Amino acid sequence: MMLKAANLVMLLIGPFVLVGVINRTKSFWAGRKGPPLFQFFFDIRRLLQKGEVVSHTASFVFELAPVISFASVILAGLLVPMMQGLSVFSFEGDFLLFSYILAVGRFFSIISAMDTGSSFGGMGASREALFSCLVEPAFFMMLGALGILAGGLSFQDMVSLVHQNGRMILLISLLCLIILFVMLLTEGCRVPVDDPNTHLELTMIHEVMVLDNSGPGFALMQCGAAIKMFVITSLMANLLIPDTFGIYGFTAAFVLLLAITAFAVGTIESFMARLRMNHVPQFILLMGSMSFVLLSVIALFFCRSV
Amino acid sequence: MTVYLCGIGAIVLGGVLAVFAGETAKAKILSLCTGIGSILVIYPAIAVLAGSEAPEFLMQMSEPFGTVRLMMDRLSAFFAIVIAFMSFLGTLYAVGYMQHYCNRGKDLGSHFLFFSILIASMLLTVTVQHGLAFLIVWEIMSLSSFFLVTFEQEKEEVCKAGLNYLISMHIGAVFLTAGFIVLANASGSFDFSAFRTVINSGTLSVFAVFLLFFMGFGMKAGFVPLHTWLPQAHPAAPSHISGIMSGIMIKTGIYGILRIVSMLDSPSPKLGFFVLIVSLLSGLLGVACAIAQHNLKKLLAYHSVENIGIIGMGIGVGMLGLSYKNSAMAVLGFSGALLHVLNHSIFKSLLFYAAGMVYQKTHTMEIEKLGGLAKSMRFTAIAFLIGAAAISGLPPLNGFISEFFIYWGMFKGLKGGIFPAVVLVISISGLAFVGAMALLCFTKAFGVVFQGSPRSRYPEESFETGLFFKIPMIAECAMIVLIGLFPAQVFSLICTVTSQFADISGYPMTEALTVLNSLSKGFLLFLLTAVLVWMLRSRLRSRKGVSHCKTWDCGYQAGNVRMQYTASSYADPFVRIIRPVLDYQEHFRLPVRHTADNKKDFLLFPEAAGFESHTKDKMESCVIEPVISLLSRFLHLFSWIQSGNIRVYILYGLIFLAAITVWTMGVQR
Repeated sequence: MMLKAANLVMLLIGPFVLVGVINRTKSFWAGRKGPPLFQFFFDIRRLLQKGEVVSHTASFVFELAPVISFASVILAGLLVPMMQGLSVFSFEGDFLLFSYILAVGRFFSIISAMDTGSSFGGMGASREALFSCLVEPAFFMMLGALGILAGGLSFQDMVSLVHQNGRMILLISLLCLIILFVMLLTEGCRVPVDDPNTHLELTMIHEVMVLDNSGPGFALMQCGAAIKMFVITSLMANLLIPDTFGIYGFTAAFVLLLAITAFAVGTIESFMARLRMNHVPQFILLMGSMSFVLLSVIALFFCRSV
Repeated sequence: MTVYLCGIGAIVLGGVLAVFAGETAKAKILSLCTGIGSILVIYPAIAVLAGSEAPEFLMQMSEPFGTVRLMMDRLSAFFAIVIAFMSFLGTLYAVGYMQHYCNRGKDLGSHFLFFSILIASMLLTVTVQHGLAFLIVWEIMSLSSFFLVTFEQEKEEVCKAGLNYLISMHIGAVFLTAGFIVLANASGSFDFSAFRTVINSGTLSVFAVFLLFFMGFGMKAGFVPLHTWLPQAHPAAPSHISGIMSGIMIKTGIYGILRIVSMLDSPSPKLGFFVLIVSLLSGLLGVACAIAQHNLKKLLAYHSVENIGIIGMGIGVGMLGLSYKNSAMAVLGFSGALLHVLNHSIFKSLLFYAAGMVYQKTHTMEIEKLGGLAKSMRFTAIAFLIGAAAISGLPPLNGFISEFFIYWGMFKGLKGGIFPAVVLVISISGLAFVGAMALLCFTKAFGVVFQGSPRSRYPEESFETGLFFKIPMIAECAMIVLIGLFPAQVFSLICTVTSQFADISGYPMTEALTVLNSLSKGFLLFLLTAVLVWMLRSRLRSRKGVSHCKTWDCGYQAGNVRMQYTASSYADPFVRIIRPVLDYQEHFRLPVRHTADNKKDFLLFPEAAGFESHTKDKMESCVIEPVISLLSRFLHLFSWIQSGNIRVYILYGLIFLAAITVWTMGVQR
């Protein structure tokens, strides 16, 4: 019960820390002083106090989309294991709901981008749909491969059983780490897939989809994106940190990993430019190929042990 | 069973009465009779599902039939309920939809007669337990639907699509006939129960027999590469017919496959893998082709191929479960397939009905010409949105539940041997890809058709959105949401049907119900969060108010509707990636002029230029067409037989009769 409460607290604070550290890393590499760690929180608070401007072209979908996107990432956050491999809400096959509830959010943010009838919105929507379309099969292949290894059928069981399967754990964790990191960059719309700081509408993905959102609706969209990134990081942390660490050790490792991930994202963003749009699918296919490697490693492992 | 047959009689009676009724009353009479008939059909079917003995009806007929047996077991009862109920909704929708044609003075009597015959023949198909009689009802079903497809026979493309459909159905029927002949020869009877013993006796190659039936039924269902008739027939037919055909008629193919599977005692893994892989390919190719389509009904037709693939994957998983004695896999696979049959019939007909309303308003199905309908057709937009979300498998709607079962069944199979596990992981990943592509496709369809601003001027005529349009669509939306929110209850219902294939006692039912209940809890949590956030946001918004403004276009204040993102540009990045699978063609018309000596002359002021892209089905151009051209070249050798002279044909008849007489006498001797 305590751990579940801790999960909720993490879900509330984590995303802000993640975004804060990323931005601080970027300013560190750029030699700037940088915004306060919780600047993102202040931004959201400011947005929530504003009114909204809605396009004449927009329909009911535009009103609905921010709410549904936000609710979907919240449910995803409740399903994902956080503290010591424990999730707030767990059952057999919860990862299917996890993946599909994120798809619900995506579905609505895409159609809300199409709703304003702007060519930019359509552009971002098309890219988002394509990239997530390539992420999905790779993610499921990873889940399937871990399913062979663990046999458990919820995130929670999968994570703990992967750790019990002592041998090759390092290789498997490393592969999962790469897969999930690519997923993080894609779903979180960071460099090299998307540049959150770009000022040119033509080159945006996430930013251009929320171009016509404002006020509380925009706050929900931005918050949702940050939570989504945090949720994926949390999954990564749980696959990496063994549950033998004890509660304090785990928390420390978790926070450390969160910081390292944010630092890595910020560093990549500082030293790399966004890929050309038609090269992004190739980058995402890295995730697919890693999933295949993971599957073959696990298959090989089983052939040996039998 | 008598009640059931009375129900079928009532439906046909409705069709006959409609022929003689006044123009506006035809559809209403058919609808009323179908309503009464459906109740009569559904009542005994529910009794069967509730656990009563499967009713039988025997008809003594002369040779070569012998005793024709009609029986309604749980599988038949399930399909009968789906067919009867969805047909009733279809006839209701037809009342509104055909109004338009009434006003144009088209004779609708025959249309409604064939409509009733189609419904009746589908209901018979799922109960007949006799090979020969089955083929006859099957044929009636194909023929009546052919007449329905060619409703607007004055259009050339409609006739072409109709003929394509008719021929495809007959090729399928050839395979079925062959299959039944093989079984009847081996068993000496046409009865399905005799087939059952002969299939399991080991005297026949089960794989070959199964393949014959799979080809025959797969043609109707639309498995790749036998799907090519679907994307032609659906756009040609009126919307309520597309809804019925895509929603339920192609499911009779699935029924046939399931019937054959139920005859197998324990299918070999080979069969399961075969079904699984063909279905996976159908799913992937179906949705990939759908993304490239810019005709709304054609897009929906390709999604039927995709969904048949998903159903087939469920069947494949179930069969693997049977062969590996993994009861969880079997129960979940078959349940997923059966539930997806129901789900697809609901959301696909909903989508076709919504498309029909779009057509009535705009007189086009080209999505590049549509747009902005969400404001002028709010009801249709909401209905289409619900259907689109459901078909993309999004929670908390029904499509997610059936896909969840199939995924879950596959995950349950991961612990039995490394080879099947690897195949299953690849299938899991494939199914996820199918789902993600469906999401891409339906965001495209919804976004371009209903959102933004209209891309062309729509006809100004008044468009009645009567109650008859709305009732079936509201009913379907309600079913989509209810099945989605209460999966546990639905699962226990479906399991009574599944028990016909798999031993459900080997599977801990309580475990499944706990999971499904947590799923419902998750959905409620999601909805609750959404409502709370919505309320919070409304509070926040009300403080400063909402102002309206133009869409942001980089400060350029003269944006017009042609600047919106089109369906082609939306799909383009994806189509580029999967181009090898599609037959994608581009045509440029450069702004140049050809001079007299055929040299290109680049002008100072460019002339009109153009760009077109077309996507054709590669399966059709690379698999079906070569086969057909080969066949036609071979058959051309016999063209001398067709002299066109009637006397010669009479002679052929005489020769045939004489030959038959001599042959039978020879056999008697």
